[in-house]
Amino acid sequence: MSTETPGPDITSRPTGRAARERMYRYVLLLCAAASILVTVSIVVLLARDAITFFTLVNPVDFFTGTEFLISRNVYGLLPLLSGTLLVTVISAVIALPTGVAAAVYLSEYASDQMRSVLKPGLEILAGIPTVVYGIFALVYVTPFLQTIGLPVNTFNILSASIMVGIMIIPMVSSLSEDAMSSVPDSLRQAGYGMGATKFEVTTGVVVPAAASGIFSSFILALSRAIGETMIVVVAAGSRPRMLNFSDPLANLFQGYQPMTAAMVQINSADSVSQLGFTSLFAIGLTLFVITFLLNLLSNRIAARYREEYE
Amino acid sequence: MATREPETGWHGENSDVNHLRGRAFEATCLAATAFGLVSVMLLLLFVANDAFRPFSADAGWLATYAATVVVPLAALAVYYYRLDEPAGEVAYVTSGLPVVGLLLTGGFAVLFIELLSVLEWFALLISLVVAGGLIVAHGRLRPKAALERLGVVFLSPVITVFGLPPTRFNWFVTDAAAALGLDFGLYYRVISLREAIMLLPFVPTDWAMLLLTLVLPVAGAAGWFVKQRRESRRDGLAVVGMTTAVAVLGVVAGPLLGIGTDVWLLIVTFAVLPLGVYVEGVIRRGEGVCGLAFPVVAVLGVVVGGVVTGALGFAGPDPWLDWGFLTSATSRTAADAGIYPAMVGSVMMIIVIVLTTFPVGVGAAIYLEEYAPSQGLMGKFVTLIEINIGNLAGVPSVVYGLLGLALFIRVLQWPQGSIIVAGLAVGLLILPIVIISAQEAIRSVPDSFRQASYGMGATRWQTIRQVVLPEALPGILTGTILALGRAIGETAPLLMIGAAASVRLAPNSFFDVASMMPRQIFSWSSELDPSFRHGVLAAGVITLLAVLLVMNATAIVIRNRYQRTG
Repeated sequence: MSTETPGPDITSRPTGRAARERMYRYVLLLCAAASILVTVSIVVLLARDAITFFTLVNPVDFFTGTEFLISRNVYGLLPLLSGTLLVTVISAVIALPTGVAAAVYLSEYASDQMRSVLKPGLEILAGIPTVVYGIFALVYVTPFLQTIGLPVNTFNILSASIMVGIMIIPMVSSLSEDAMSSVPDSLRQAGYGMGATKFEVTTGVVVPAAASGIFSSFILALSRAIGETMIVVVAAGSRPRMLNFSDPLANLFQGYQPMTAAMVQINSADSVSQLGFTSLFAIGLTLFVITFLLNLLSNRIAARYREEYE
Repeated sequence: MATREPETGWHGENSDVNHLRGRAFEATCLAATAFGLVSVMLLLLFVANDAFRPFSADAGWLATYAATVVVPLAALAVYYYRLDEPAGEVAYVTSGLPVVGLLLTGGFAVLFIELLSVLEWFALLISLVVAGGLIVAHGRLRPKAALERLGVVFLSPVITVFGLPPTRFNWFVTDAAAALGLDFGLYYRVISLREAIMLLPFVPTDWAMLLLTLVLPVAGAAGWFVKQRRESRRDGLAVVGMTTAVAVLGVVAGPLLGIGTDVWLLIVTFAVLPLGVYVEGVIRRGEGVCGLAFPVVAVLGVVVGGVVTGALGFAGPDPWLDWGFLTSATSRTAADAGIYPAMVGSVMMIIVIVLTTFPVGVGAAIYLEEYAPSQGLMGKFVTLIEINIGNLAGVPSVVYGLLGLALFIRVLQWPQGSIIVAGLAVGLLILPIVIISAQEAIRSVPDSFRQASYGMGATRWQTIRQVVLPEALPGILTGTILALGRAIGETAPLLMIGAAASVRLAPNSFFDVASMMPRQIFSWSSELDPSFRHGVLAAGVITLLAVLLVMNATAIVIRNRYQRTG
């Protein structure tokens, strides 16, 4: 096709070539449209079984029920949400400050040489498979917590959340660093011109100016923590449980079952009723909606800061 | 805070500037950056210790190898880092190339052992070449008949690879032939060229087929590459000639050394050939030549260490991760457990992903970067696609597993836990990543290249195929390799589509139920026995991470080598 002689082509009628050009265009458009198809099929297929489920179980009962026991056909989402909430909050406590501090260091303080070591290092953290993080939590972190005297169970939410936190640090740091690097230098110069120290410029000018970018990275990281599956499946146990408000600290040391872990368990259980199986799709749809909304929100916020400085 | 106290003359007028606060802040930030890295490094050290058990060796063994391998290599590394940076890169690549080559060799060896025989590979490749040849020939003979060519493009692979399905027409032909007393052996369906080759009464030996269909094409590609780089036909031919010579030599000499001929041919193709081309280039350029010492010192050190420890009778360690672990199936007893079937499953899953996700992802990226209109109804649609891709990248992996379960198993009724389902589900998961990275690579091709191509009268597709794609290829490859690394480690979708917890026999078809490396590791993680928990599990984790490390290092080398500056 590239081997055609160019001479006659210039004068010849281009119908064949034009048709082919159009064909390539449509084939490539199909490839691009495939992504829409993926989203649509996620929504349709998940909704199909979820609707079957909701015709048999009252959605109000599902979203406000405080007990989740498939063997007794009791489907309340709150215990699973408790687990998800705990993982998200604990990992956020670890990852958000650490990630922002790392971003500040990489964007404002690090020499080029330090950056060339630390940035790929953080990328590696993001590239480790999550099942490996789960095994770290179960086999190494939990016994470590036990040796330093915390009363943790074999399966506990704390070590799983620590690992989720470490896993999402790179996400916070790289997106926040992008936001901080895109703060124009003129703002920093203005700060220095006012006689501010580097610390004051960093905390008083750069970080507030990059606030929306940092915030959007937070939301994305939370969404990742909510959807994280393997770490909690391996290390957080398989017992759905409500939050215990009378003794908040004890919550950390017990096993919980977040939504993602419950989905895996329902799917791999040997004998599940048809209703129990469709509950899988109801939970999945809830998870999808939550993460999808968070991602949309994060993109919105990120788009705003890009407009501000570009 | 920057705007507080506007009434003072200048900020800090009344106070000395305090450095302590700033220093403490910087140190805190550095500590935060290092926190994740250091903790994961520590955990990795623990896992590696469990997998290799270096301290089960004699102290003398450790000391010997420290003296023959570790110290010289560390000294070389320091020398490269301080004094001779180009040599450091040469050392990195010359040590890495054989590793990547051996990994590819292993992958292909697994393919030939489990998936298709050398004969099947030979027949498939010949048929594909014939199909391609038919299409090209038609293009040459009738360049104007675009519609007709569409038919040829569709039909020729059908005839050469798949064969015609049983149809009324075939029945008619076969029945008519039978009525005339002729038997073409058609049996109600026209067989393809591929099947015909497999039915041949005489076939070349395995090594000859491999030489023809694997070594020669790869050598030819390398020769073409060298020819383009040096603009010397002779050098290109020399590459092809020498590769073939080494391959044939190995086939003759291999049995004496105890290396199978097929394995030897694979090693020549994937390890010896690239290493040879690279080393020759380094010597010719004369830059960083002393980097070549690194792998030589490493190999010498291992050999000397082996001789010394053998002579002095030091016992080596008894690692969990050994050859037996890599080549045997899992077992109830920790000492016998291995990861081989799961590795085969992972390799085959990667094949499915490469064949399905890569073309679609790159195609989508080409459309979005090169064709997509920015206005009108289509423009809105394109914006929707872009937003949607960004969102899909953030959908949890377990939801993709659920999609795979609902779509492929419940709707299409494909076998639960089969490799094809696993590959497609994980492929959908990495599709947005592939699209986004390919888009970035295509975007980084300067517009002036495109303008120049249009100026020469090229059409848009010709510009894309001959200008944009070759320029963007390294970037696309980097992104794809990184995405494949992600795919190898994904576990949640495998759990949802019901991949087997553990299999004893390696799969040998894409519709077989299989286990994959992370799935197998997950099953081991629920064993309570400490020899599983601190032995087999650690060995599995290290194997998985080693594969990922090699893939990521390859991607980074490609990126550094071809990165467009500015």
